Amino acid sequence: MKSSTRWGWIIALVAGTGAALVLAFVLSFSTQGSGFYERHFVWLFWLNVSVAMLLTVVVAFVGVRLVARMRRGKFGSRLLIKLAGIFALVGLLPGLVIYTVSYQFVSRSIEAWFDVKVAGALDSGLALGKETLDALATDLEKKARVAAERLAEARTVSPLALERLREQIGASAASLLAANGQVLLSAGGGMAEGAPERPAAHLLRQALLSGSASAVERLDDESLAATGAGPQVRALARVPRSEIALAPGDERLVMLVQPVPRGLAANALAVQAAYSEYQQRALARDSLRRMYVGTLTLTLILAVFAAVLLAIVLGNQLARPLLLLADGVRQVAAGDLTAKPVFPSGDELGGLTRSFADMTAQVAEARGQVQRGMQQLEGARTRLQTILDTLTAGVIVFDREGRIDTVNPGATRILQRPLSAWRGRRLSDIPELQVLAQGVEERFELLATSPEAGERDQWQESFELTRGDGATLTLLVRGATLPGERPQAAAERRPPIGLQADGPSPATRERAGARSAQAQPPEGDQESSGGRAIPEAKLLVFDDITEIVSAQRSAAWAEVARRLAHEIKNPLTPIQLSAERLRHKLEARLEGADQALLLRSVATIVNQVQAMQTLVNEFRDYARLPAAQLKPLDLNALAHEVLALYGQALENGLLRASLARELPRILGDATQLRQVIHNLVQNALDAVADRPDGQVELMTSVARGEHGELHAVRLTVIDNGPGFAEKVLKRAFEPYVTTKARGTGLGLAVVKKIADEHGARLRAANLHAGDQADGPVTGARVSLSFSKFAVTPAGTAGGADAIPAPAPGDATQVH
Amino acid sequence: MHLSLVRHRFLQGLQLMLVLACVWSGTVRGQGVELAALQTSQSDGALNLEFAARVTLPPAVEEALQRGVPLYFVAEARLLRSRWYWRDERVARVSRTWRIVYQPLTGTWRVGLGGLHQTHATLAEALSAASSSAGWKLADLSRIERDSSYTIEFSYRLDTTQLPGPMQFGLGGLGGTGEWTVGVERVLRFETPP
Repeated sequence: MKSSTRWGWIIALVAGTGAALVLAFVLSFSTQGSGFYERHFVWLFWLNVSVAMLLTVVVAFVGVRLVARMRRGKFGSRLLIKLAGIFALVGLLPGLVIYTVSYQFVSRSIEAWFDVKVAGALDSGLALGKETLDALATDLEKKARVAAERLAEARTVSPLALERLREQIGASAASLLAANGQVLLSAGGGMAEGAPERPAAHLLRQALLSGSASAVERLDDESLAATGAGPQVRALARVPRSEIALAPGDERLVMLVQPVPRGLAANALAVQAAYSEYQQRALARDSLRRMYVGTLTLTLILAVFAAVLLAIVLGNQLARPLLLLADGVRQVAAGDLTAKPVFPSGDELGGLTRSFADMTAQVAEARGQVQRGMQQLEGARTRLQTILDTLTAGVIVFDREGRIDTVNPGATRILQRPLSAWRGRRLSDIPELQVLAQGVEERFELLATSPEAGERDQWQESFELTRGDGATLTLLVRGATLPGERPQAAAERRPPIGLQADGPSPATRERAGARSAQAQPPEGDQESSGGRAIPEAKLLVFDDITEIVSAQRSAAWAEVARRLAHEIKNPLTPIQLSAERLRHKLEARLEGADQALLLRSVATIVNQVQAMQTLVNEFRDYARLPAAQLKPLDLNALAHEVLALYGQALENGLLRASLARELPRILGDATQLRQVIHNLVQNALDAVADRPDGQVELMTSVARGEHGELHAVRLTVIDNGPGFAEKVLKRAFEPYVTTKARGTGLGLAVVKKIADEHGARLRAANLHAGDQADGPVTGARVSLSFSKFAVTPAGTAGGADAIPAPAPGDATQVH
Repeated sequence: MHLSLVRHRFLQGLQLMLVLACVWSGTVRGQGVELAALQTSQSDGALNLEFAARVTLPPAVEEALQRGVPLYFVAEARLLRSRWYWRDERVARVSRTWRIVYQPLTGTWRVGLGGLHQTHATLAEALSAASSSAGWKLADLSRIERDSSYTIEFSYRLDTTQLPGPMQFGLGGLGGTGEWTVGVERVLRFETPP
């Protein structure tokens, strides 16, 4: 842009100089005064030529540059060349026409000035004048001769005789001169003139030599204008030698003067002036012609070059906004929506570029808005995805054909199936889920055909699901139809981003969030049922409520136990006391078989009552377990204390204890933990009671992390009994779940409860032969991990770096 | 020795060049005019100038003259006082213009000087009348200081600027060495009388 401006300036300067020179040239003709331009024409000519050369160079350079640009295929060069060509043509053609006409005109005019007839007439006129004057002179000369002869005859010359002679001859003045031109006598002539002037030397000489001479004098404008002596003819004649011998050199001359008629003189002078003028013109004729033609030619050259340069500059000027526009359009087409330059001019082209820039800005803004919208949408989508991923509830979205469309990790976890691998399949295709699929389908159909009161677009139902490993899950399932999406919209919805889930509409998102919370009442916002005919996408949200059901069951059992204990315990003591009283009273009175019967029966009653009392106590213990009093205690010491009760089992090797040394002290309730150990050991012993090689092991250990920090203190009881049945394993710690033929099923429930109180983790698992999950069961293991430690004084067991790691008090973890 | 020889040659060359320059500068404007005499005289308390030149007109000029084109000859003299510290001061400047014109009607040559006219039968007479001057007062002696050195710049030339317009075409060319350039210039040292 800058270079083109500079070029524009240079060109304008050169053109301006040329124009100024031409102007000066032209002016020179109108101001003929000083003749400066004529004198310096050659100099000016060459100056103009050099300017023209400069212009040629510039034009050639610009032209070559243009052509080179076009060769390179630079954008817009063709338009520029076209414009420049048109402008140059527009400038050149009229210039050429005017030049041709002017050339002819000048040539013809100059030729016309120098007409042969005019020249001839002037010559003739001049000759005529000359002849006339010559005739006058010759006539006067003759008269002078005559006068001289007369004087020679008269011998003596008196002024009177001279006067008479003058009158006879008819001259205006007559004089007698000495040989040296001195006037001896004179007659005639105006009084004012006084003595006649002496003749010119050459006239005198000629007269002396040839006897007579004549000349026209004072034939000029000045003499003619003066009132005095006008033009005159002077004639001299030598007085012939008489018999009177005169001394040699003492010659006399007669001089006659006759005025030339003024009219004749004036006319002759006019002719002479015209002749001179004509001659001058003729002399300068070629010069004039050269000057006119040269000026014309130079003017043409300069004008043409200026036109060409102007054409290029104008073309540039005109083409620039167009090029700007075209360039901008190309950029926009290529996707570049940055601000476009505006051509600063008030005309339509400038307006066009302005409009284009505005348009581009608007397009850019619109694109930016779309991008922002996309980003927001994407953000929402990722948010929703995150929510879905972290949801504990399982979410499955079915498309219109009932195929799995979206699955969240929660669903995979609950169903223990990699559901995302089954995307695009029906739920009923997945093994073990057919029952659930069928139930869900029926429920959806029911919803569509005859919705229950209060549920318009969603239903809720709990299903029992039996998994492959035998565990039965209780699922609370909610189903809903997703608001209709248009098929093409659904097709568009699939984003290029690798999202696992399809982007649901905001309404769906809201709904899903609400359902996952499981606390919202069914929403009332419903769409019109116009789209019912088309199968719609469906949403399935389900929760594993097995734990909740289990907890409810535990609570129920606790209540039952409490009431039973209350109701049963009261009559038991009177029954026992009554039986003992019967025995006491009747034992002495009866004899023989009756006495034996009585004793046996009473013993039976007392025993059964005691057993029942034990049972009731256990129930009561379970129901009314007091809150644990957490104090620092040594688990090993507690274990020893409990083991002391099993002296016999210890002795015959049925029970073994392997206690870790330097066990950190934990926080716990000694009474409750004692019962826990007791229950566990008793359970294990019961499990191996029927086996001759039964073996029970009580272990305490310390679990440490990678860097030796304290994790947990673990109490484990292992037996080699039949293990837990698969069914029982999951619910081993629920009340009234037992493997024993006799038993309340409360032992492990109590353990669980106490473990919860202590924030300890309780695990029950079967031992398999060869540590393989599918091997035959070789025993059972129950372990209790305590993670609440007593703040130990420095130096005691555990070390200074023993940091109690708070472990979450998970209720159970089942393998 | 060798060095001195070189220096000698160099000085010789310089002298030659100087001489040539003088000759060239003397002849550059001296076309067609030969200055026969140029001298000063003092009389009546004035410094007078006398000069006489022989003019030989180039054929083109003579032809123009024959055809009735009036020619003007200008004699100009300037008296300059030399100043070492500045440009020379111009004390006086005088000029005379002669007009020579051919009168085809009478076949005579007319020479005009100021309001004075003379008619001559031949061109040579006319030219000689127009190319000499005697007792031409240059300056009053009173204006001339003693103890100063003066120069007189004299020029005599054909004045082409008074030609008719079209005739001047191309006469003012660069350098002015055309056929129409007729004239002579001379610089005269004028010694103040003691």
